[in-house]
Amino acid sequence: MFRISRAGLAERWTLFVGAALSVCLGVALVQSSLLLIISAATLDPPPGLPATERMLFTQNVEASVAMLGVLLGTATFLAVFIISSTFGFTVVQRRRDLALLRLVGGSRGQLRRLLLGEAVLLGAVGAALGIPAGLGVMAVQSWLMRTMGFVPDSFRGEWRMWILGVSVGTGVVLAVAGVLLAARRAARVRPLEALRESGEAARVMTAGRWITGLVFLAGTIAMVIVAPHGGPAGGQAISLNVPMCAAAAVAAFGPLLVPAVARLLPTGAGGPLGMLARANLRDGRRRSASIAAPVIVLVGLVLGQAGAATSFTTAGIDEQRRALRADLVVEATGPVGARVAATPGVASASTEIEIPARVTYGAGDDEESENGAALAVDPAAYAAAHPGSERVRDLTGRAIVVGPGGDIPSEGTVRVELPETQLGDVRVAGGVPTTLAGGATLLVPAGLVPAEQLAGAPSRSFVRLAPGTRAADVIPALAEVGRVSAVDDWLTADAEAKADTNNKIMVVVLGLGGLYALIGVVNSVVIGAAARRREFAEARVTGLSRGQVVRAALAESTAVTGAGLVLGFVAAGATYIAVLATTSAVTGTATLDLPWRLTAAVVGVAVLVTALTSVITSWSATREQPVGLLGARE
Amino acid sequence: MTTTTTVATSTAVSLRGVTKVYGRGPAAVRAVDAVDLDLPRGGWTAVMGPSGSGKSTLLHLAAGLERADSGRVLIAGADITDAGDQELTDLRRTRIGFVFQSFNLIGSLTAEQNVALPLRLAGRRPRRSEVREVLASVGLGDRVRHRPREMSGGQQQRVALARAMVTRPEVLFADEPTGALDSAAARTVLDLLRAMADAGQSIVMVTHDPGAAARADAVVFLRDGRIVDHLAGADAHAVADRLAGWER
Repeated sequence: MFRISRAGLAERWTLFVGAALSVCLGVALVQSSLLLIISAATLDPPPGLPATERMLFTQNVEASVAMLGVLLGTATFLAVFIISSTFGFTVVQRRRDLALLRLVGGSRGQLRRLLLGEAVLLGAVGAALGIPAGLGVMAVQSWLMRTMGFVPDSFRGEWRMWILGVSVGTGVVLAVAGVLLAARRAARVRPLEALRESGEAARVMTAGRWITGLVFLAGTIAMVIVAPHGGPAGGQAISLNVPMCAAAAVAAFGPLLVPAVARLLPTGAGGPLGMLARANLRDGRRRSASIAAPVIVLVGLVLGQAGAATSFTTAGIDEQRRALRADLVVEATGPVGARVAATPGVASASTEIEIPARVTYGAGDDEESENGAALAVDPAAYAAAHPGSERVRDLTGRAIVVGPGGDIPSEGTVRVELPETQLGDVRVAGGVPTTLAGGATLLVPAGLVPAEQLAGAPSRSFVRLAPGTRAADVIPALAEVGRVSAVDDWLTADAEAKADTNNKIMVVVLGLGGLYALIGVVNSVVIGAAARRREFAEARVTGLSRGQVVRAALAESTAVTGAGLVLGFVAAGATYIAVLATTSAVTGTATLDLPWRLTAAVVGVAVLVTALTSVITSWSATREQPVGLLGARE
Repeated sequence: MTTTTTVATSTAVSLRGVTKVYGRGPAAVRAVDAVDLDLPRGGWTAVMGPSGSGKSTLLHLAAGLERADSGRVLIAGADITDAGDQELTDLRRTRIGFVFQSFNLIGSLTAEQNVALPLRLAGRRPRRSEVREVLASVGLGDRVRHRPREMSGGQQQRVALARAMVTRPEVLFADEPTGALDSAAARTVLDLLRAMADAGQSIVMVTHDPGAAARADAVVFLRDGRIVDHLAGADAHAVADRLAGWER
């Protein structure tokens, strides 16, 4: 059986190369993410770092690890999706070959073993290629992370020997999984199909697809319903998982949805070519679905996650604006509260000094630690400047309040550790409302923090002007204390900084993932075209010129890509519903802020890539004279 | 006129009341309609009929490639009507051989590998000499390492014939074996079939070519899914006349 595989390689090389390539890149992406996340998690602060910097370093690394976790999850999802759909598709394309084997005496078991054996081989080959490729990907990703400041300049992804086993295993397992279901179906092919001219199998919506689609649909609906009840942090986390689930659900129903949607779209070709394109699209449902699936995942994932991230950021900023009663913001170093409050024209000022902190709670096995920021505040002033935080006003003694970004218990006792100081056990006197934008982990009365610590730390003072005072009169005096900005300007600058960080995270996480999905698209088009040489020859014999055949194929792939885009938007739409519900529940206003430039870019790239690939493959498939293909049949 | 010999051991293929219907309701087509047929062992029978008469379907039913809707199909006395997939697969490996109009060789394998394939699928490792012998018997001893695309249509069909014969089948089924061949190649293939029949091979051949049918021992005529005529030992002219009569 093996020799038949090897011999078949020369004939069907496009199929096999495509499949091996999908494994290679998937393994590369997953391996890189895995090694990076381990390297980041085991990163130690450089020796000799002062305590404050050390705590900040730890917090940064934690944030990177979280981001790399998202990266690993996305990479794994994409790898599973693209590898399994590519392998499944190649099996479907070989239906006639397999029928011929059955005709000559191959049993179902032998066919299954043939296909699984090939999958193991291709998986291993792809993984072997993917391991060095993964090193390259890792270099690129760690460079991205260094440039964007997520990790120190000395950060490098570290190699671990055991990753060899993991990568090869991953490649093989994913390839086999992709083939498994398709192999079972393909092995049941009737020998007579070797004699038939017709290309596609009748039933494209298999039981497996129905089950997968319904499961993911149920998951998506469940997540959309639960998200608004998950609180700010939970709601955001759930909403960011919706894109993958929704994209998988829509892609599973592809053979049903893609032809239906594509039929409604303009193909860009009128008359007989357009008619031919539409007919081929409807007839080749499996092929159309396989080409549209990576587009759906690309659009659903990238636009869904990017849209969710920008919407949450915008909602967070609006939230902040409403939770702030101030006119000016003064940024300085150290406890400048007294000086600010003493400035003529200032009605009240809340100075908040940010210090890295570590909170430990729970006992014995349940002990947990949180690294975050502590805000040293004047309780009364804080409560005045931030409506909704009245609880802080009554803060007395050795007590703290959980901050807007805090994930620690809101009652009982916790142990707080500041750089160079142990605050020891303090009582937690409740918490302020948690926000989408996050914020400090805890609020601590300034009196509890040693003065030397406060002196060198960055501080923000929110200033309320006395009624009737003009800002311009007060600003020069305040400018001597620190940098002064109007509160709206400050919020905007803050927003831009957060958006910038967001974008960087998106680039790291979705950049390479998006590229992989794009390669999946190319793969599908190439594999689909390889099996259509005969079909193109038939069209040419009927009277179409070579150019017309290429144009018809282009029209078809344009419509299919268009359908993929529309369905991808539908999948992203599910995410947007979750975002609207969450922002509405948490902040009271449903917010949706979509990255229009990114959307345009993704649409443009998808259309361009599929168009180019379609033209190239159909041009190459019509190289021979049609009669040569139709005359003597092998 | 149909022959209804009941001595099982002397029939290669036996069909009893076999029916095959395609489609449903008003669009249903009775491709094969309650056919009774006994084809003798060691004989070469041709099946002829106008287009749409159901001759290919009849062949597929007889060879176990299609399942009959009613009736019984027996090959060398064994009832295969309700045979399971594994049984039918075994049948294709060991007891029946096929030759088709479109050759159906595996393009990526050499002639030698193509011929050895059914045996290897059956788990046997055929000796090289055995395979080459079979290829030599069809006149392709010098082309064992060539791939199908390097051979003419006639040569490919002879490889297909060798592949069908290497398992020493009880029955050889041929569906328009000379349909895609020029007259010289067709003559070679028919000569080979004649030699096999003379040596005792049972052959069932579907054809539309009276010249090919005339080389067989007997011709059976099909029309609208039913056997309507039977001719033995006729020449090409007689066959053509009879066929023309039924085509009206």
